[in-house]
Amino acid sequence: MADADEDVMPRSGAPMEDIDLSEEVQDFRFLATATGNDVKIPKRGEKDFEPHATALQSNTLAASRQAMHNALSFERTHPPKLTAQATFHPESNMAYAYNPKGSPLFVRMGQVFTKGEDPIGEDGLRGQRMWFLPEEVIYLVERGTIDLRWPVTEDDEDGQGLPMSLQAAYAMFLGEHQALGGALTFERYSVFSGLKRAGYTVLRASSFAGPGPAPTPDCYPQIPQRTWQAGLLSLVWLKTIFMSPYKEDDTISSPSLPVPPGLYRNYVDIYRRLALIQWHDPTTSTAPTSPLSSASDNDIRVTWEVWKPGSSTFKKSDHGPPDFRIAVIDARDTMVPSLQQLSSLLETEKYDPPKTEDQLYQKLKHGYKNVILAVVDQGVVSYLRIFDAAFGREKLYERMGRGAGAKRGGRGGRGRGRGR
Amino acid sequence: MADDGSAKVEEPFAIFKLANHYMLYDVHTISHIRANHNIPGVLTGLLPQAPQQNVFSGVPLELMPEDARLLCEKGVAYIVDDVQAHKQGFLDRGLGEEGKRMYKEQLRRQGVSAAKAVQVRMEDRKVAAVKKVVAKGGSVGDWNDLPEDMLRPASRAGGGKMKKGRRQADSGTVTPEVEGANGDAVAPKVSAKTTEEEDESLFGSPMNSFPNKSLPLHSRDTSTASLRKDLEPYGITPATSYPPLTATPPPPRSRPATPSAAQLSHHQPSAQETSDLPEVPNEASYQLYRHMHNQGYFLTPGLRFGCQYTAYPGDPLRFHSHFLCRGLGWDEEFELGDLVAGGRLGTGVKKGWLLGGAEKKKDGMNGFGERRGEGAHEDGGMGTHDSNDGDREDGQKDEVRVFCVEWGGM
Repeated sequence: MADADEDVMPRSGAPMEDIDLSEEVQDFRFLATATGNDVKIPKRGEKDFEPHATALQSNTLAASRQAMHNALSFERTHPPKLTAQATFHPESNMAYAYNPKGSPLFVRMGQVFTKGEDPIGEDGLRGQRMWFLPEEVIYLVERGTIDLRWPVTEDDEDGQGLPMSLQAAYAMFLGEHQALGGALTFERYSVFSGLKRAGYTVLRASSFAGPGPAPTPDCYPQIPQRTWQAGLLSLVWLKTIFMSPYKEDDTISSPSLPVPPGLYRNYVDIYRRLALIQWHDPTTSTAPTSPLSSASDNDIRVTWEVWKPGSSTFKKSDHGPPDFRIAVIDARDTMVPSLQQLSSLLETEKYDPPKTEDQLYQKLKHGYKNVILAVVDQGVVSYLRIFDAAFGREKLYERMGRGAGAKRGGRGGRGRGRGR
Repeated sequence: MADDGSAKVEEPFAIFKLANHYMLYDVHTISHIRANHNIPGVLTGLLPQAPQQNVFSGVPLELMPEDARLLCEKGVAYIVDDVQAHKQGFLDRGLGEEGKRMYKEQLRRQGVSAAKAVQVRMEDRKVAAVKKVVAKGGSVGDWNDLPEDMLRPASRAGGGKMKKGRRQADSGTVTPEVEGANGDAVAPKVSAKTTEEEDESLFGSPMNSFPNKSLPLHSRDTSTASLRKDLEPYGITPATSYPPLTATPPPPRSRPATPSAAQLSHHQPSAQETSDLPEVPNEASYQLYRHMHNQGYFLTPGLRFGCQYTAYPGDPLRFHSHFLCRGLGWDEEFELGDLVAGGRLGTGVKKGWLLGGAEKKKDGMNGFGERRGEGAHEDGGMGTHDSNDGDREDGQKDEVRVFCVEWGGM
């Protein structure tokens, strides 16, 4: 019976928003409906099971392929005068543009360097010169926002370099970049581009190119917060003291029997005595006295800091803490991360406890620290959220004892403790 | 099926390698391998006409190393070191004066035709908008029938230029959604034109400072005047660098099926290309990959579904995938838990979990019947099916055997 339930549950219970259309190859004939002002997302599952050699099927396939071919043949054009023209700078492997205009994208991309930092140096135009990082350049070229040029040589009589193709941008900013020891990999760019397309603001994290800074104090539970939580806990204790006159027995541990014979007036006492296994409590973790060595040689590092699309207060110079932090992993040469790797990755994350008034499952899913892994398998990106959950803190029996949330107390009313 | 422009592709074609990834940028090649070699690849780029979505992707196309290896083994493709080629061609001026000039000329022609296309589209849209207004109300139609010159202020010297600039502003964003918005916006402007024109004639102030208002004023005479004008070419960002760069295929190998011999006998024809076969991360998985490919399956990277390759019975554009594939060595041990987990995983997404590897064969042992791994399974347990297909087209024994596991809901 339980198995039957399991079979039915995911199908009937899967909410619509869980369906991710990008998961499977979609029919390009629907591209027209996916663009424009009223976006109609193509329906899923309008594919066939297998080829059956009918003319209808092969015609449909041919139409899909033609639609795809047409969509991919799109030419990136730049109207004169309005173009943001950028120039490749091989020495720094970046590109620069003078006063780029024409796209709202420049509000959140690019930077003007100070006198000492500018790779070209102070030449009077430095203030107008906006530099773009490799990932930004490729993204802007792909979008058709900038007209990227090769550096000007003396035999370019019109004073402009040759136009740089998309392929050239990939070759120079990804291939050559990596050859020069740059930290931007294909996988990282895939994630960057995917997030940008979804509207997020994405910036390099401090640990982009190497080990980031050591964990800051806000990576650990803060002292005032802890006393406040202890206060809540003490309330719970107060309650249990009321309910169990044998509270003081808790401290007397019997090594032979977890539950010595005696008088028990409720199950909570027994459950508490049965809790023999040590559990991980993220709220009590403190900064280590000596800096962790494992954090420095961890090969999984946070790569991108991501802000949600809606944040209107975002400024390039002064952005708040990111909404998400993402670590990119290449699936082809990385194994499943070990607990140690994940721990040292989470070590540098901000301490972010769940709200105390949340439901038990929400609390468990929120965790106390979290980070997102983006696993890239040959251009296909999967996102996983890793969090530091504290199962030991959410005691099922206490919740049942208080009667709160009893509606989830058991499938089909089998929960025995219900209603007490 | 093959009429989608793929006929133009000459084999062998170049696969561009950079940072250990195999890429294709030319749309014809992309369509070609899809239609003729059953390799879909993964589109990783952004579609400039629909930049804010992740459902449809664009050029470039990324190939798995297995894809690249297979195409090279077949002798229909070769690998080009793209970084090296670009550095030589552009930064070290390997392109030469002539190549550069031709490249510029070609881009200029493309730019002009792009500008023309945009202009024609604008005209069409304006005509359509005016027609809409005329159809809507008769009185407005009368206004529109007035000759253009009548209400035009005298100081119009800068008008032509301005108008052009404005039109370019409109067409500057050539993405369809923006165009759609513009098309909608033109209609109310035209309908408001009459009042604007009156304003202009009353106050005699040239509206040059408001180029957005001067646009509708010229909506009709442009078709006669500016089409003939010499158009300033649009800037073009081509998707591929070939041409102007040229890639020369390595000399054909005598026996494409034996890579090691070819590799040894091969000498480097030029610095910008290597005909070394691409390395695959796992030889055992590649055996399975090649086997499935020879069976006519389309294979894509499968980690998202918890496997190595997802196998589609036809083009993934049209068909759902059937199998989640995992390649193993013939004597390689794996945990029983993997079998259970894989079987459940596959059944959960209505696919078969398939594992296979190249059989270490003794002579003459080929006694398994030919059954394909889908279909009925025994009730109440895991059904396994094996398949062993005989000769490949090229006469070489394909000794890979595959097993498909389904979870039978005990």
